[in-house]
Amino acid sequence: MNDTPKKGDVGESKKHARGLTRRRLLGGAAVGAGGLAIGGLSVAKLSGHADAQSAQRVAFHGAHQAGIATPAQDRLLFASFDVATRERADVVALLKSWTRAAERLVNGETVGFLRDPVSPADDTGEALGLEPARLTLTFGFGPTLFERDGHDPYGLAASRPASLVDIPAFRGDALDPARSGGDLCVQACGDDPQVLFHAIRNLARIGRGSVVLRWVQEGFGRTSSTSQTQVTPRNLLGFKDGTNNIRSEQSDFAQHVWVDPGADPAWMRGGSCLVARRIRVRIETWDRSSLSDQEATIGRHRSTGAPLGATDEFHTVDLAAVDSGGALVIPADAHIAIANQQSLGIHLLRRGYNFTDGMDPRTGQLDAGLFFLAYQRDPRVQFIPMQHALASGDTLNEYIQHVSSAIFAVPPGVNPGGFIGEALFH
Amino acid sequence: MLRTRKLLIGGVIVGVVLSGCGGGGQTNAAGVRTIDVALTDESCQPIALSAVAGPTTVHVTNQDADGVTEFEILDGKKIIGEVENVVPGLDRSFSLTLKPGSFVIYCPGAKKERGTLEVAAGGTGQTADPAARKAAVDAYLTYVKKEADQLVADTGPFVVAVKAGDIAKAKALFATTRSHYETIEPIAESFGDLDAALDAREGDVPAVEWSGFHRIEKALWADGSLNGMSEVADKLVVDVAKLRSLIDSIELEPAKIANGAVELLNEVSASKITGEEDRYSHTDLADFEANVAGAKQAFEVVKELMAKNDKTLVETINGRFADVESALAPFKTSSGMASYTALTNANKTMLSQRIDALAEPLSRVAALVLQ
Repeated sequence: MNDTPKKGDVGESKKHARGLTRRRLLGGAAVGAGGLAIGGLSVAKLSGHADAQSAQRVAFHGAHQAGIATPAQDRLLFASFDVATRERADVVALLKSWTRAAERLVNGETVGFLRDPVSPADDTGEALGLEPARLTLTFGFGPTLFERDGHDPYGLAASRPASLVDIPAFRGDALDPARSGGDLCVQACGDDPQVLFHAIRNLARIGRGSVVLRWVQEGFGRTSSTSQTQVTPRNLLGFKDGTNNIRSEQSDFAQHVWVDPGADPAWMRGGSCLVARRIRVRIETWDRSSLSDQEATIGRHRSTGAPLGATDEFHTVDLAAVDSGGALVIPADAHIAIANQQSLGIHLLRRGYNFTDGMDPRTGQLDAGLFFLAYQRDPRVQFIPMQHALASGDTLNEYIQHVSSAIFAVPPGVNPGGFIGEALFH
Repeated sequence: MLRTRKLLIGGVIVGVVLSGCGGGGQTNAAGVRTIDVALTDESCQPIALSAVAGPTTVHVTNQDADGVTEFEILDGKKIIGEVENVVPGLDRSFSLTLKPGSFVIYCPGAKKERGTLEVAAGGTGQTADPAARKAAVDAYLTYVKKEADQLVADTGPFVVAVKAGDIAKAKALFATTRSHYETIEPIAESFGDLDAALDAREGDVPAVEWSGFHRIEKALWADGSLNGMSEVADKLVVDVAKLRSLIDSIELEPAKIANGAVELLNEVSASKITGEEDRYSHTDLADFEANVAGAKQAFEVVKELMAKNDKTLVETINGRFADVESALAPFKTSSGMASYTALTNANKTMLSQRIDALAEPLSRVAALVLQ
């Protein structure tokens, strides 16, 4: 019984992993080396094997919430909730419970006790044996948490950030209210859709009675890079998307994304503001457009992602360049001409995902597109003017339609022992 | 349906406070004990733990031990529970079911890495007064019998109307008669085929065997003719009488009653809120209301057997019953409940969410009822 675990048995192989884990923790980096399989654990680690990327964990605690500057993972499951309770104390209790659960989930752990045979298990179990998969859980507060039909349901109206505006209507919007808005949101990102489903399912279960799901959006391929270590992915139009996205390594990242340390209200310092838009792509129409039309619509070459007239994806977008006939190489109404940061001077962190919800039963066409997510310091000077410009001038509008809209104030990160939005409720 | 796996309730130990050598413990609302352990550079503290077998959460804290960040419980060489990365300033927990025996606790990196954990056999748990258990079961049986008596009594005039070909009268009596079945449906489901004989929907059983309320419902609302229903009506009388007589010999225990309450709400979620139960008459809301009333009655009797420290859970469940009832209230009419067709999609969503919000905490009750 008092034997030291022998080489080769479970205890010994753990020691090896332990060193890695501890070293990386002390470095403060996103932690690698997920737990190895251990027999007999009652609150299980969800991890099974050590695959380089899927085994990685992203630290939950920190000055900012994870899932924003974190290099964009491959998958998304986004849930918007409405608060069903009338009690402020219930909201606080929920946020505490969610925080504790999130701390465990991102580590690849179950949310609670598994083995009591006579009760429903605390954890639903479908992620047992799966790696942490770089899971991040990012929480936000919608405008209706602060003010609802002129009421102040939780005594928070005075704390509503000025930047948490009601998103104005844009030209061409076809918003479905049932897929828009929400009092609370949880963005789950990671590399394994089952891990994401497990996280959202268990958070919804924990919240039962306090919150109800309003809408859920799944995303299957990141459509932007948020780190210089990532290659630019393609959206469902077939084009590289997010070439000029801001990256977490850039020195001006903080000024575009994080709420200033001196800003008011104080509870938002270190937080961000998230705008979500479900953008349906008219896939069938797009697919019967000629390649040159598509390239003129986007303003880039499809194969390389280079701006029209250039050869490299990262070449500077020259909106003034003209061809031998004097015509603009990049049409003035091309998507990148309108959205270009040089022309608008607007930077925001795009973190969107491709989506499909199967078929539109009315038309038999694919229901697919881009679930646009953008983090920024203040949408009044970032998303909103940018979208006004796009909505009124972008030729891409012929092929896309914004069908949902939501905005959330994303509070700063959590320290051990704290909870999401603690400063707001104190 | 009352599933037998839910009835394996005997092994639960609820409400024990354990004490260790220097360690303390407390029991939470779910009957899980907690052991507190501190990591220090010297050793795990306390270095000699004792506990009682059963579901246990180990709560590990580290104030300032830089070199010790893990805690493990070993059974021989096998790790049966562990937590890692408990760096200074952090605390973490893990849970496991402790079995009686001697175990090693292991804090790698400490001056004294190993300590002991002695787990005593359980069974010293707080138990309910047998008289209280009996009183609860008896109270519920009284309710079940009353509902079954009423079912038998109401089935009489309903069947008379059916056999007389009085469609209007039979339609008027259909929902109110059924409601006394819906309040105690899990009981009927425990008698094998009786539930199918009384309550099968079209397609649940082979067409030639289809009998019971929904067969007559189809004749009344879809066919507009009671031709051939006389035999079905006679069989209905026999089957409800059989149900009533079987109830006299039923054996119930509190946990089974508590699970029955959840089953009733699952019935609501599965078929009433979708309008599938009474697909011809659209009287689903009457069944819905009866299911909720039956679940509430079951909860009212078993809550008396829950430990004092489950008071918060009881209050939560009471509040959620009230939420469901207030959501149903607008659909009450002078003669019963409004038609399912009166519900908007938003109404259905809201009712469904309130049932889920109630059923989740209610599903915790069976394990907390003192044995």
